[in-house]
Amino acid sequence: MNVEVLKSEEYVLVSVEGRVDTTNAGEFEKTMMGVIEGGATRIILDCSALNYISSSGLRVFLIVQKKMMATKGHFSLCNLQPGIKEIFDISGFSSIFTMFPDKEAAIKG
Amino acid sequence: MKCRTLLVKNQMVELNRVVDFLDEIGEEWELSVPLLFSLNLVLEEALTNIILYGFEDQNEHTIEIDFKKDEDQLHVSFVDDGIAYDPTLKEDPDISLSTEDRANGGLGIFLIKKIMDQVQYKRKENRNYLMLTKNIKV
Repeated sequence: MNVEVLKSEEYVLVSVEGRVDTTNAGEFEKTMMGVIEGGATRIILDCSALNYISSSGLRVFLIVQKKMMATKGHFSLCNLQPGIKEIFDISGFSSIFTMFPDKEAAIKG
Repeated sequence: MKCRTLLVKNQMVELNRVVDFLDEIGEEWELSVPLLFSLNLVLEEALTNIILYGFEDQNEHTIEIDFKKDEDQLHVSFVDDGIAYDPTLKEDPDISLSTEDRANGGLGIFLIKKIMDQVQYKRKENRNYLMLTKNIKV
């Protein structure tokens, strides 16, 4: 797993690459919490290179969403691969998250 | 019928071996990428549960994972000597709840049940047998 954080004036773009599973979900959570604690009010998570996620990873997504909602911030996802989208659908996560087909659409909001 | 067995220890690091093993049989048995994704997820969820919650002692245990494939179905069975636990009895999470009301965890077994076509459990001679089947006929 690789996570890249890019801060701009209007939003923080996080790109996650590879696998988010039981072995590294803690590391992913730490990075995301760092972004939130850094005062981000709008986070866009680019999932174009995310090719595997398990329930440990889904848990982190949900925690981030809850935290952002609590501070009236915005958290959106873009570029979900079909396999990942299917897991989101099964889990009921597709109705929890704001999802965009690509980065440009997510930035526009 | 194609068969393979993988033995893993009750340590999280073994998940990496599972991923490698799946790549191997994926190629050998010509499994599709979406099927491998599903299998990877199911294996991780089942194994994580066994490793984290299955053993009350600090000893090393071996978990046996059997893979069988015929034309129509793929079977994955887990055998462990941990405490008795029947995951088929676990209540499904309510996925229609609002974000605030959703529990952070508890999706693992639900995902297994949703992805696989059959989930069976039995306890025999102090061992747990978790048997999963996926219909793969195109």
